[in-house]
Amino acid sequence: MMRKRTKYGRYALNVFAGLGLVYLFAPIFFIVAFSFNKPNGNFNIAWQSFTFDNWLHPFAEQSLTRALWKSLEIAAVSTFISTILGSLIAVALSRYKFRGSEGINLFLVLPLTTPEIVLGSSLATLFLGQNFIDFGMVTIIIAHIMFQVSFVALTVRARIRGFDWTLEQAAQDLGATPFRTFMKVTFPLILPGILAAALLAFALSIDDFIITFFNSGPIQTFPLQIYGASRVRIPPQINVLASIILFFSVAILMAGTIAGMRKSAEKQATAKKFKLPLRK
Amino acid sequence: MSANTPKNTMTRRQFLARSGALGALGLSLPAFLAACGGTEGGGGGGEESLFFDNWPLYIDPTADGLTGTVDRFMAETGVKMTYGEGYNDNNEYFAKIQPLLGAGKSIEADIIAPTFWMAGRLISLGWTEKLPKDLIPNFANIEDVYVNPTWDPTGEYSMPWQAGTAGIAYNIDVTGREIKSVADLFDPEFKGKIGMLTEMRDTIGLICMSLGIDPSKITSFEDAAPAFEKLAQAKADGQIRAFTGNDYADDLVSGNFAACVGWSGDVLQLGKDSPNVRFVIPEEGGTSWCDTMVLPKGLANSTAAAKWMNFCYDPVQAAQITQYVQYLSPVKGVRDELAKLDPELAENPLLFPDDESSARLRSFATLTEDVEAKFDEEFSAITGA
Amino acid sequence: MTETVERNNRIARNADRVGLGAMILASICLVALGAHWVSGPMVSVIVLVLVAVIVGVLVLAYTGGPEARRLLAPYGLLKPGMLWLALFFLAPVWSLLRISLSTKESRFSVNYNFSWAFENYTKAFSDFGKQFEHAFVYAAIATVLTILIGYPLAYVIAFRGGKYKNILLGLVVVPFFTSYLIRTIAWSTILADRGIVVRALNAVGLERLFEWMHIMDNGKLLNTPAAVIGGLTYNFLPFMLLPIYVSLEKIDTNLVNAAGDLYSSASRAFRKVVLPLSIPGVFAGTLLTFIPAAGDFVNAQFLGNPNTSMIGNSIQDQFLKQNNYPVASAMAAVLMVSIATLVLLYTRIFGTEDLA
Repeated sequence: MMRKRTKYGRYALNVFAGLGLVYLFAPIFFIVAFSFNKPNGNFNIAWQSFTFDNWLHPFAEQSLTRALWKSLEIAAVSTFISTILGSLIAVALSRYKFRGSEGINLFLVLPLTTPEIVLGSSLATLFLGQNFIDFGMVTIIIAHIMFQVSFVALTVRARIRGFDWTLEQAAQDLGATPFRTFMKVTFPLILPGILAAALLAFALSIDDFIITFFNSGPIQTFPLQIYGASRVRIPPQINVLASIILFFSVAILMAGTIAGMRKSAEKQATAKKFKLPLRK
Repeated sequence: MSANTPKNTMTRRQFLARSGALGALGLSLPAFLAACGGTEGGGGGGEESLFFDNWPLYIDPTADGLTGTVDRFMAETGVKMTYGEGYNDNNEYFAKIQPLLGAGKSIEADIIAPTFWMAGRLISLGWTEKLPKDLIPNFANIEDVYVNPTWDPTGEYSMPWQAGTAGIAYNIDVTGREIKSVADLFDPEFKGKIGMLTEMRDTIGLICMSLGIDPSKITSFEDAAPAFEKLAQAKADGQIRAFTGNDYADDLVSGNFAACVGWSGDVLQLGKDSPNVRFVIPEEGGTSWCDTMVLPKGLANSTAAAKWMNFCYDPVQAAQITQYVQYLSPVKGVRDELAKLDPELAENPLLFPDDESSARLRSFATLTEDVEAKFDEEFSAITGA
Repeated sequence: MTETVERNNRIARNADRVGLGAMILASICLVALGAHWVSGPMVSVIVLVLVAVIVGVLVLAYTGGPEARRLLAPYGLLKPGMLWLALFFLAPVWSLLRISLSTKESRFSVNYNFSWAFENYTKAFSDFGKQFEHAFVYAAIATVLTILIGYPLAYVIAFRGGKYKNILLGLVVVPFFTSYLIRTIAWSTILADRGIVVRALNAVGLERLFEWMHIMDNGKLLNTPAAVIGGLTYNFLPFMLLPIYVSLEKIDTNLVNAAGDLYSSASRAFRKVVLPLSIPGVFAGTLLTFIPAAGDFVNAQFLGNPNTSMIGNSIQDQFLKQNNYPVASAMAAVLMVSIATLVLLYTRIFGTEDLA
């Protein structure tokens, strides 16, 4: 009797999880489906008829495409800088034990536990009263780096937490210079963590709306363009570009997972390679 | 953690220490970024360039075998034109350009498209350049009502882009009857199915007229206070579903709105595909407005801007814009040109209002700065943002 | 001679103190410059101090010997990122507080006069109390809902996913690779009056129940408080699900089996073993969900009505439409302080580790 009930409980839980997945995908289904819609008039809202036109002309909307390029530009620059800054922090935190590290840990979490609207508006107040930097690309990039750094630092730190720093010594025992050690041993081993963090930072930058909204000046990024368009009209190209971004991210995610599996195998192999001569 | 091999870790750490020291150079990054940012936009070279930041959906695009106005302009003049659609809310756009223009800096756009009252604000703040009228011979084609308008008393700073009327848009499928009056918007039958515009002058203006207040004669907040009260009450009662920009169109078609305050051109465009969506100038009267072209202070290419303005004020070109956007054109002679393209549209009273309906339209008064501040504050308190 | 060597050695041995101190001092200098604590000739003095601190540490690193370098290294690595955060995260908070106590020179001015203008705060509370209330209530309900949806989902993936675990986890994350705005706009299509959900509810006859539960209002699902909460729940679900999953994944299944071996019922084993071990994930998720939800304005804008505005809408409107930076800053400051208080309470109890 008892066993039976738990069995039903099991099913119920699985069904619930299945429904959860459906819930998660409901809007995605709409977005992708409506990228094939041929809207009547300005709003891509009611299903009219199937067409490939939007996919054949994904860049037909000039201002939308320009905004997407701006977003990519911003994401590339901010990700590059924030990945360097964040990775250095992560290496410092996991490589060394030092005075004040706990304070730094707490400080790193702060930007993540501050609502975006506070981050965005406060940064805008910083830019308002000065004459050095104009609102525009530069302020957007600065803002993005600001919130990316913490994400990168925490992600890289989590990924290299189990890193075996004695490998460095091994390399140097074998006569490698510090620079060579870093390039040949340390960097390749922490690279997957850094790449994962960079991807996350890139995704955060591309999709950021609230913080950018406060610091954009007259620049239109992709999310800002969507926001503006939502009050006038939503061309199906928005769905097409969103779907492309989605598929692209999924591809990277999958590639990352596969590479991660391979890397972990390689990592074991490398470890073996370096540890064997040590034992001799 | 590795005390047993101090020598090697030292050298390794030396390296890290040095790279850490290099990090101090990170300080110069903002300067580097600023240098990068400096190359953003800008013309350069011998080629003339132009950036017009307009409202979305406000010009005929190149499609269906027709060449859009922007492309025709570029082909004829050789100016390299960027046509932006970043202007989608007067107040928001103002907030974005304020830190720049207010500090005496220029913005990327050469022409922007503020609504008449916002144009008035920009002009009185001294944030606009005079039009190089000698380069715009077609300025002579401007309709008489727009010569030296209230927002630009000397007529030196702005040219109307398109004009229109605000009235009531409704979906007869949902209402089940024709809507004639602003009072219908407050009918409890449509509770939670009514939309209002975030554009204060149209929403308040329409309610004012229904209360017998002439919005063109308002001088103080007290004059319009009853309209604000009425709107606040409707909001508190849950009568109003949302305050929108042009996106009311979407809510009307999908049936989320039974009726709302709307703009003539939008509904005309919609009506082509959704005949159940209709537009009416209420019995009590509607408001008229216009969006303008102004040159922000310090623009890079005033000659190119003048070429563009001249081009748009050629009735042949203007008629093609009108055919697409279906708003009132401020250019004389458009009706005759439009008759050649689309005779039916040329007879549409919403594009070319007869004297009787013109008499029912009012344009919102130009408010002094303090009064406007009060209006904005009270209105934003109601829109619930 | 020996004295100086002795002194140098002492400095070298305490290089970590020097490094930490230099980093903090440099940060303070940057905050001072960024937030306009100083003006006129003091600016040059601060810039000089900043440069001197950095040069000083570099000199120490090169002259102080290997031990000093080892002790300085972490601070050198930290410095660029930390200084960035000091200038673009700490200094802005300061300037936000300053503007929240300032008055504007004129309506369209970007200049402020600091004047201890507490009336900005009075106005923030008196005019926008409702919006604060909505923000915290909606965010709290949404957080509870994300636990109710996220926990079972994470549980199934962690304990029953088997070899499909990673794929399932990927599936859960995938929807969030589409634009946040587009996702929210898609919900407004789904929930529309003649949309698929309302029609389905009508067909099944559930709309009476939903009306009674105040989820639907007068036949509407869209533009109701329920829609706003639903949007928040959807958009922040992964922030709840992932930390819970991580904490569940760490649990040794042998523990659960052991409980079973000791004749514990499945539900009892869950309550006594799994649940306590996964609590840190739930708490981390609670923070990561509640904080962004309380500051959000996108969901209320697209899915709400004029009576469901949250504080984010007000801050956005006052800041970016009314140009009323002082009052907007006051509201943002209140939001920041109330949330910081909550976070501090949480971290006091549960530590910061799980947030990462």
